[in-house]
Amino acid sequence: MRKWPVSLLVIAMLALAVAGVRALRQEPLYHTQSYVFGTLVDISIYGEPEDRARLLANQVLQDFQNLHRQLHAWKPAGKGQASELGALNTAFASGTRPVTISPQLAAILAEATDLSVRSQGLFNPAIGHLISTWGFQRDEFSAVRVDDASIEALLKTRPRMTDIVLKDNTAFSTNPNVKLDLGGYAKGYALDMAADYLRRQQVKNALINIGGNIIAIGRHGDKPWRVGIQHPRKPAAIATLELADGWAIGTSGDYQRYFMLDGKRYCHIIDPRNGYPVQHTQAVTVLIPPRKNAGVLSDVASKPIFIVAAEDKASTAAMLGIQYFMVIDQQSNIAVSQALAKKLDWLDPEVNNNRHVKLVTLP
Amino acid sequence: MLSLLRSPETTFRHLLVGDWLTIIFSAAITACLFLTLWSHEPASKIQIRVGDKIQASYDLNQQRDITVHGAIGDAVIHISQGKVRFSKSPCHNQYCVHQGWLTHSGQVAICLPNQISLELIGAQKPYDSLNY
Repeated sequence: MRKWPVSLLVIAMLALAVAGVRALRQEPLYHTQSYVFGTLVDISIYGEPEDRARLLANQVLQDFQNLHRQLHAWKPAGKGQASELGALNTAFASGTRPVTISPQLAAILAEATDLSVRSQGLFNPAIGHLISTWGFQRDEFSAVRVDDASIEALLKTRPRMTDIVLKDNTAFSTNPNVKLDLGGYAKGYALDMAADYLRRQQVKNALINIGGNIIAIGRHGDKPWRVGIQHPRKPAAIATLELADGWAIGTSGDYQRYFMLDGKRYCHIIDPRNGYPVQHTQAVTVLIPPRKNAGVLSDVASKPIFIVAAEDKASTAAMLGIQYFMVIDQQSNIAVSQALAKKLDWLDPEVNNNRHVKLVTLP
Repeated sequence: MLSLLRSPETTFRHLLVGDWLTIIFSAAITACLFLTLWSHEPASKIQIRVGDKIQASYDLNQQRDITVHGAIGDAVIHISQGKVRFSKSPCHNQYCVHQGWLTHSGQVAICLPNQISLELIGAQKPYDSLNY
């Protein structure tokens, strides 16, 4: 009977080993997807008990839903009730009487105006009339034939963010043709908001993806978060990279919202200088190091680079303080800044075989 | 020892309660370890999500059409020996159908209007999330 304790010890150790292996295999990763902002929202939380992770992710989705209703450019928030942004647009169009807005919207407009000025008007959320004329203020859009004269007329009204006067949580516009559309800003703002919230809730590791714009908190266990960059013309990733704590990545592409007309592609990114959809670029990706509004920058900064011609892209990136960027032009040629090239792992076999990637040095 | 092996009856008679427990527990643990460690790598699968729910996962190595009820109507997802695509969708722009075949682990196709997403699941995930 002396053998008993030894046998039991062996059994207990084996049982522990099995439990340990099982625990290791089930990594503490909570993952959820939902549809907000007219796009796919994907949240991963690592290292939290599942119940807590679910509650936190649901709160983030709820906050996104509220922000979406508040900032929607064309949908009413409820029956007969415009979104806060919609009401403000109505007020802008009808005169110069200041209207009260929420402190949050006031802060958003101040930041968007600042970025618009810094991009020399290439990022211009005041061109809502142009965007709706091209038919992109709809859930599903079809080919629109636009007559050049109406675009010309809209351009002449010169709507700019600096036409908006903000004071003590009130706003009015000196130009009745300003119509705000925060489509190129809201998702980035939501990323910052969600990252701040999760950090305040002591979440150490999370990855938030809103329609392709991603921000990282912490790591995926013992390794950094890794994200893939979508190829603009193939259903596959072109490259992957590590997204370290606090970093954000965003892409502007001509393949998510567009229509085809007479064999030509008309995407939702409109050049505010001539009023027409940009046709020379397939995608621009920017990577933003940790900073206060990394999410906003990941959303906004890709647009000006997308809009300008090939020869101006590097200088525009430099103007915005963007070191990490990649451009894929209409012929699928790839140009990558040297800083970003160091971080990319190419997946696309064509890129690996031909290495037809141009390195761009910032001016 | 040899004599014990030659007469199994004697062997079993000599086993004590503890020996039996050891044998039973060892067998159980072996079975457990086998299931945990030897489960062969997951075959390539297609995971279909509708809205925020995982609708189903299917083995990729088959020929099959699957009809999925989305937010605005029925979509048809076509699995064909290791690859998958949207073959019919009620959405207006048909971006999902134009995406074509998905073949590698980590690739996704999303139909935003119909809120259906396809993701290829392999033994290893090449990335945690996709920037697009």
